[in-house]
Amino acid sequence: MANLWQKITRHDGNGWWNLPHTAANELNPPHEGPIGGAWLSNMWRVVTHGGVAHAGPGFYWLVGLALAIITLLEVWLFGVEGLGGWYVPILLGLSLLKFVGVVAFFMHLRFDNRMFTYFFASSMIVGTLIFTIILILAEVGHQPPN
Amino acid sequence: MTQAAATEHHEPVENTSTGLNSRKLMMWAFLGSDVMFFGAFIATYLVYRGKSLVGPYPSEVLNIPITSVSTFVLLMSSLAMVLALHYVKVGEKNKGTLWILVVVVLGAVFMGFQFVEFREFAHLGLTPRTNIFGTTFFILTGIHGAHVTIGVIWMAFLAYGSHKGSLRPDSSLDLEIAGLYWHFVDIVWIVIFTVIYLISATDGPPAGMESILHG
Repeated sequence: MANLWQKITRHDGNGWWNLPHTAANELNPPHEGPIGGAWLSNMWRVVTHGGVAHAGPGFYWLVGLALAIITLLEVWLFGVEGLGGWYVPILLGLSLLKFVGVVAFFMHLRFDNRMFTYFFASSMIVGTLIFTIILILAEVGHQPPN
Repeated sequence: MTQAAATEHHEPVENTSTGLNSRKLMMWAFLGSDVMFFGAFIATYLVYRGKSLVGPYPSEVLNIPITSVSTFVLLMSSLAMVLALHYVKVGEKNKGTLWILVVVVLGAVFMGFQFVEFREFAHLGLTPRTNIFGTTFFILTGIHGAHVTIGVIWMAFLAYGSHKGSLRPDSSLDLEIAGLYWHFVDIVWIVIFTVIYLISATDGPPAGMESILHG
């Protein structure tokens, strides 16, 4: 369990989807790839930069393409009938994927100083708490008095 | 060279108590506060969702195909933003300026979509004063639109600076900070598009009202 936690959170080698941490101001981080280990990272570099040692703008195009495809999928799901109770969780999941993609790769949080990640993550936690408290208070407030 | 040494070599250590650039930290702190700001408004929308006693209801006004296009436009502006930062950092001035201009244009197109949508809603009789859906919808999307407007103006200034040569690789932090703001505006819209448009688009009158309305 501790090992798993370290694997997810470490920034000094193999945290966050097994990708090494790179310097904040380094151009074209050498192991930039969304998922997977060294093999997939290498494949990603080959795909995005003609086999050169690092990903370039092509990587960002691929992230943009992935975001566009997810958006298309969301709109397609809107027209699909029969999803029932799965509709909202699936949409929220896809939305979360896009959210993480933009924050991690376009906002470079994945490759920046971890302090920024802590800043944003802590505000997300407080924001989610505010969100939840408002919903709970509204629900409680609408209960008919006994 | 080890990873730690490489990081130490590349990352500039600022003369601040955190060792981080104060302006960049300020932007992240601002974005953190904005998360709470938008979180409160989205929660408020959900609290009052489906509680409008009079129309127009979301199912009568929301246009998913049109909003999908504007969502795509905003997503692509984020892509343009990250490409602009890349080219400014490597010193390719013309490409950098071009991509910043693309961000400005796409941001302006998104604003245009929102303007047309608001006008169409008003034409259909939905204003912030019509019902609780109108109030929560216009406040949330209006505040987001204000953020986009500020971002477009900011980017226009940066495009001018890049064209004039004042935005160089060594001052690319100016663009990076603006980029953080722009991407944040994008991720807020990702949530709004899902929660307000895709999930609420079929909302009609509240339960019990339909039988009253339709006898």
